[in-house]
Amino acid sequence: MKHEKAKKFGMVIDLDKCTGCGSCMVACMAENNVPFREDETDKLLSVAWMRVYKLTNGKPFPDADICYLPRPCQHCEGHHGHSPCVSVCPATATDYDTRTGIVSQIYARCFGCRYCMAACPYHVRLFNWYDPVWPDGMEQSLNPDVSVRMRGVVEKCSFCIQRYQMAKDRAYMEGREDIEEEDYQTACTQACPADAITFGDLNNPHHKVHQLARPDHRNGGKPRAKNLFRLLERLGTNPKVYYKSSREWVRNLGDNHDAIQEKA
Amino acid sequence: MKIDRRSFLSFTIGGAAGTALSPLPWKLTDDMAIWTQMWPWTPVPEKGEVTYVKSACTLCPGGCGISVRKVDDRIVKIEGLKGHPVNDGSLCILGLAGAQLLYGPRRVKAPMKKINGKFREVSWEQALDEISKTLADLRSKGEPHTVACIADSDRGTVPELLNRFLRVYGSRNFIRTPSIQDSYELTLNLMQGVRAMAGFDVNNADYVLSFGSGILDGWGSPVHMFKAHSLWREHGGKLIQIEPRLSSTAAKSDSWIPINPGTEGTLALGIAHVMIKESLYDNDFIDNYSTGFHEWKRHIIDGYNPEIVGKVTGVAPSTIVGLASSFARARKPLAVCGRGKGLTPGSLKEFMAVHTLNAMVGNIGKEGGIWAVPEPEYIEWPELEMDQTASIGTQQHRADGAGSSLYPQARYLLNRLPETMNASSTYKLIQVLFVAGANPVYSMPGSADIKEAFEKIPLVVSFSSYMDETAQMADLILPNHTFLERYEDVPAAAGYNRPVINLARPVVEPRFNTMHTGDVIIRLARALGGTIAKALPWESYEACLEEMMGDRWDTLVEEGYWTNTDFAAPQWSEAFETASGKFEFVNKEISSLARYSPVKPEGDEAAYPLILIPFDTMRLWNGYIGDPQFVIKSVPDTVLKKNDVLVEVNPATAKSIGLRDGAYAVLSTPKGKARVKVHFYEGVMPGLVALPRGLGHSAYENNLAGKGINFNELVGPFDDAATGHDAAWGIRAKLAKA
Amino acid sequence: MDTALIPKGVKRCPLPQFLAGLGAAHVVLLWGVFAMLLCWLKGLNQTNMNNAYGFAMWIWADRAVIALGGGAFFTGFLRYIVGKDKLKYIINYAVLIGFICYSSALLILAIDIGQPLRGWFIFWHANVHSMLTEVAFCLTAYFFVLCVEYLPLVLENRQIDKVPFFHNLTHNMHEIMAVFAATGAFLSFFHQGSLGGVAGVLFGRPFGFREHILIWPFTFFLFTWSAAACGPCFTILITKITEAIARKKLVKDDVIELLAKISGWMMLTYIIAKTIDTIYWAVVTAPSKGLALSHFYTNNALYGYWILILEVVICGWVPALILITDKGRKNQFTLWLAVILAVIGVSLNRWVMVLQVLAVPVMPFIKWVLYFPSWQEVATTILPVAYGVILIMISYRYLPIFPQEAELNPLEPPALPEDEPEAGEEAAQEAEVQEDQKTGEGDLQPAEA
Repeated sequence: MKHEKAKKFGMVIDLDKCTGCGSCMVACMAENNVPFREDETDKLLSVAWMRVYKLTNGKPFPDADICYLPRPCQHCEGHHGHSPCVSVCPATATDYDTRTGIVSQIYARCFGCRYCMAACPYHVRLFNWYDPVWPDGMEQSLNPDVSVRMRGVVEKCSFCIQRYQMAKDRAYMEGREDIEEEDYQTACTQACPADAITFGDLNNPHHKVHQLARPDHRNGGKPRAKNLFRLLERLGTNPKVYYKSSREWVRNLGDNHDAIQEKA
Repeated sequence: MKIDRRSFLSFTIGGAAGTALSPLPWKLTDDMAIWTQMWPWTPVPEKGEVTYVKSACTLCPGGCGISVRKVDDRIVKIEGLKGHPVNDGSLCILGLAGAQLLYGPRRVKAPMKKINGKFREVSWEQALDEISKTLADLRSKGEPHTVACIADSDRGTVPELLNRFLRVYGSRNFIRTPSIQDSYELTLNLMQGVRAMAGFDVNNADYVLSFGSGILDGWGSPVHMFKAHSLWREHGGKLIQIEPRLSSTAAKSDSWIPINPGTEGTLALGIAHVMIKESLYDNDFIDNYSTGFHEWKRHIIDGYNPEIVGKVTGVAPSTIVGLASSFARARKPLAVCGRGKGLTPGSLKEFMAVHTLNAMVGNIGKEGGIWAVPEPEYIEWPELEMDQTASIGTQQHRADGAGSSLYPQARYLLNRLPETMNASSTYKLIQVLFVAGANPVYSMPGSADIKEAFEKIPLVVSFSSYMDETAQMADLILPNHTFLERYEDVPAAAGYNRPVINLARPVVEPRFNTMHTGDVIIRLARALGGTIAKALPWESYEACLEEMMGDRWDTLVEEGYWTNTDFAAPQWSEAFETASGKFEFVNKEISSLARYSPVKPEGDEAAYPLILIPFDTMRLWNGYIGDPQFVIKSVPDTVLKKNDVLVEVNPATAKSIGLRDGAYAVLSTPKGKARVKVHFYEGVMPGLVALPRGLGHSAYENNLAGKGINFNELVGPFDDAATGHDAAWGIRAKLAKA
Repeated sequence: MDTALIPKGVKRCPLPQFLAGLGAAHVVLLWGVFAMLLCWLKGLNQTNMNNAYGFAMWIWADRAVIALGGGAFFTGFLRYIVGKDKLKYIINYAVLIGFICYSSALLILAIDIGQPLRGWFIFWHANVHSMLTEVAFCLTAYFFVLCVEYLPLVLENRQIDKVPFFHNLTHNMHEIMAVFAATGAFLSFFHQGSLGGVAGVLFGRPFGFREHILIWPFTFFLFTWSAAACGPCFTILITKITEAIARKKLVKDDVIELLAKISGWMMLTYIIAKTIDTIYWAVVTAPSKGLALSHFYTNNALYGYWILILEVVICGWVPALILITDKGRKNQFTLWLAVILAVIGVSLNRWVMVLQVLAVPVMPFIKWVLYFPSWQEVATTILPVAYGVILIMISYRYLPIFPQEAELNPLEPPALPEDEPEAGEEAAQEAEVQEDQKTGEGDLQPAEA
């Protein structure tokens, strides 16, 4: 395991397939012990690691069109692991793991300054404004592989890192050197009824995610595949979540173009 | 000792310095930080042995297999069952939140009896005793036919046990909750002569023409439909969505055809017209396997040319011609109907109109087409021995009027029940009502009438596991185990084109003092004795189930499901069981039905200038199950904000009334009034107001109760002239500044 | 009753009057403390912050008071390092104001963090890449420097000074004060800069992000420079307010004018740099992220171009140009105007660099999010103002803050009736409490709205 090649876990989300059903959100909540409150309609106070945005093309009836865009943590690599959030955390409570490419969050270390939230342009980081409370009995369905977060700390999508740990443990127990592609899949990927999410190692040419995205590692991981894009590519965040859409207006909404002369 | 200022000062300063240098403050600081990580009020889930149990989800008719992740004896996660023919490892939003229904506060924890308007816990013996006495009384009075049962399905051992119990007791009043299944069953029955469920080979279809079906909004078996849609995306299959609102399905479609609501059937016939005119139909099927085509054709040629249809539907004639051409020329075209999730049966003639499109392209029983999936044959009940009371009782008319001279075709007409009951104040139409796996007080249109009818029933018995709206109105609640605590066979998956049986099993021990509804029925039968006890002779429900499953039982236990992979639709020569042995475009029964005409919305146009239509989404459930916490949490703030529901209005329409985006408004219909917020949406046709279904609960926990309004309170049922089923798809409405 | 504690040669209002004023300030203080306890016990749901506004009023207040408290380090720097000896007549007050500002900042930070009991993790698990780590270290260190600078002043109290040990200590501390001033200036340079860097390094937030020189974004230097420029203006403003309330001159005009002149030139250089920075950001940096300048100032109900004009032109260029002219400094109206505009300008800059950064939508499919503070946030932000008023009242009464006061206000011959000046003092003292609160709030309001 010493000379194990660094992995770079990432996702391709096919927006042509995504139906906006919300399974990914709930699968994530159930897997990761996300709390809920009586009123969750203020989305700015709501904790949901996976959020599905509804994009509109801005045209009037009947030319109006919508598209759903699921947004987990983008697990930005930035330049050499300097993702927007990791470098700003004063207490080293969030970390970019160069072996997996996963941006982790250490809840017990976080003291709630929320600088990382200010740093993240994707709004993936969420603060526990309230004490998490489970109505009597409901705490029974909590997953012991994920710690319950306390009030006053920031949390976010971890690419279900506990599943990676378990997959590695299982591989070790079974005497395998490395885990297989299907051994480690995030809860949202697994649940998606439309099979719109593909998850795997972007560094591994055998993984489907690599084949779909064809990341150009010499060019900041930009996708080489047609119709693929990353959110806010121009910021240089170098995210590991790729989106696929055959609709041009959707791809255009992936980044800001106000001041750029688009090439024909 | 005298303490002067100086020594006091030095003592204080020295003490402070000493303490600071000691490990004490550092230890305390550290302890404090550790304490913040384990606040006693923040739960710490216990580790334990992890196991996965194969089971079945029963929360909707979708028929998905589930894999339940357990840690010791706790359920921590529900996932899709890999390899299951319907959902292959994936799961919908509701199924994923299923554990919240098991552990959540909406559970009814013990049998309850309503005394002076309040529920009190009673023992099972007392509850069963009371019911069996009432039932025995009614029988002795010769009124067994005044006992009824509402259930969400009529298939599978539990609904069939209920039905069997009613029959042998002396009542025909087993009522299935309405859905498009009613209309599809009748369509297949009338045109193909079979008693079957409609199955759609969506995986293989390459051109799906959907007349308002929320294929990606919960229609049919949701996960199966989603997977099919993804296959279309991969293989170039096309989806054409015809509906007045840009739903999720419309947004994912290759072409969204906005249409005047309620005129979908007209469009189908318009497309048929073009296909006939341009000879775009399967000659082999029409000539050799169908009858009545030429008679039917004349009627279509006369009445449905693209210009006329265009005027009625609002769809451009050129579009109609284009649709006909691309539909007919597709390799594997498929036309489907039934609006939204398919909870309203709709107009039978509309279904038949759409079905003729399938017939014309000859996709019946073909790859990528519509299949008649036979009713499961595995449940073979022993011969029923009826006593005289039962015989007399079962000769009485059904309370809901299904099968009567007025509506001879309908099997169940729950929507007609309130009107019939409320019309007569003295005659006791129903004296005992059982409700199993349904929440009609919430989910049926015309909530006020339903409530009135329920109040008239002397004894309402709910089998609900949850304190839902119907349970709240019940006199007795005999809570069933939840689907994670009980055995039950799920004999089909809605809209799936092959027979499949899933087995739900007790993944965990029952948490509360609940009892399997099957066991309750068996015990009631035993208590009533005689032929009734003889008809349900099993020791327990489990014994009954095992016996019924026969040699499938082992597979079911092992795999969690059973399916017939060899199943194939019969050849056309054998497929039709009509009098002619062919597909019948027209026959005596069909001709006796009222002609197709678009269903008009209730209300006066002058007083109600707009039209209110409901819409369904995967994130709002409006059948027996109300949204669990996670699911309601996923509802966007453009649908629900605090306790206010947002109605979708086209900005042009809203501005003409002077309403701004996000403003409060009063939405009124002939049936009721509600305060709503306005949400500007360019995806809804001008002149319409779209309201999500699944909100406005008065039951359940505060996460759901009191949020938004229930569409059913603003709409009433509208009887389809052909069948008596509810065909209302909307209602006239007015939106005014609040 | 407390005459023994009052410095020699100056006149102060009667004790009951003083206590009444102090009491009034304490009421406000207690309101703030109550809000603070709510935040600690019930959590930050007491605020109107949310997942879009992880930073809000508090962080703005924090940066604003630190900028305004910049008068302490810069005046100290001028007095001890540059050798502007004349400034010794105002340095005490500058230090006191700085002390108040910095202790307030620390308090606000302690309320702002979600897990106050783990606040020390910032030192223990420090991440050297984080601007906030730099802020925390320098801020804390500089606060100790300020304590050291403030301590001799406290020890100069008439009674304490009688103790030989304290007297000698004071003397010795004065001797080495230059070392502390230098340390303070060094630390301040870094934490002021780091505070600027907080927004400047956010490459995910194009409104805040600036190009870097080495590891520091432009905002790093702009923040330091603006604090050095506007901090003294705040010192002047508070001095002027104190004088207005006390109805007597406390510091000679030439001292004020010297400070104002230096501040003016600092401001001018700052605002030139700021203007260049803004243009470069608008023309080069933001467009490289795909965003036109209009993106940051349109499509929302609050943030328009006006805020840019107000900050850079009206509250930047105008006070700078006033203060560099002799006439502008000598004319009391323009002097007042200039220092007030400068204070507003720097506060507005901090507001924009905290809140507008977060208000601007970055993903193209989301909208602007605006924010209004909850009463708990307002109360906890006013808390330090009340605390500052109290500390100033006590310090002014019992400590020789203003070395020139006795000279400028010789005591009346005892022949005169004693009531009269006291009555005047009374009113003045009373007014001081109110005035100070008002100005305190007044500073907050423009930016808050």
